[in-house]
Amino acid sequence: MSYQEKNITVSLVSHLLIGVYYLSQLFQMQQAGGLVAAKVFSLWAIVIVAAIIVNIIGSILTNILLSIVHAIKTRSDQEERFIEDERDQLIGLKGSKVSYIAFSIGVLIAMLTFAFGQPPLVMFSLLILSSILAEIIGDISQLYLYRKGF
Amino acid sequence: MDKYKVRNNVRKLRFHNNELTQEQLAEKVGVTRQTIIAIEGEKYAPSLELAFKIALVFGVPLQDVFSYELEGDEK
Repeated sequence: MSYQEKNITVSLVSHLLIGVYYLSQLFQMQQAGGLVAAKVFSLWAIVIVAAIIVNIIGSILTNILLSIVHAIKTRSDQEERFIEDERDQLIGLKGSKVSYIAFSIGVLIAMLTFAFGQPPLVMFSLLILSSILAEIIGDISQLYLYRKGF
Repeated sequence: MDKYKVRNNVRKLRFHNNELTQEQLAEKVGVTRQTIIAIEGEKYAPSLELAFKIALVFGVPLQDVFSYELEGDEK
């Protein structure tokens, strides 16, 4: 598994965790009597901030851990080449495209629920859910492209 | 329209160049070893610049490293 694949795996795991947290909070809210605007919007903020922070920290920790593992494996202080080449960039772009398409479909579904008479909070909840799902789908598509060779 | 594919002799050329490893070739052309593996396996067609860099490492013209052939044709 290459450095980029490990980074994407960390990103995928963090997005999955955030997704599970988000869904569990929504489920709890529903159990407690339905969606409440203040709670839904604070959950929005938490999820967005968590996604940014977890991704940054995850990326830094992955770098540090991989450097340590490389140093132990090779028993040298020579730095490992953590480079992103043209193939990595192409796979990244394809992943972003898949994410974008998935998010667009999610936004469309969210808008349709509103158009068909669901409350606005359902639409807002679906918007964030579709962004998390889009990131997960994007990560999976990148891992698939790496495994396939391209 | 017939389907063409970029084919290459990278593995053969590595062997004839003091058995250059994939890692060494990757370092010389500034890509990851995974990219060299994908090129050798003909799963990834490199950019023109990378193709020239690889040819430069082996000291041969580009057409000696890469060719554009009908898919399904044996090398």
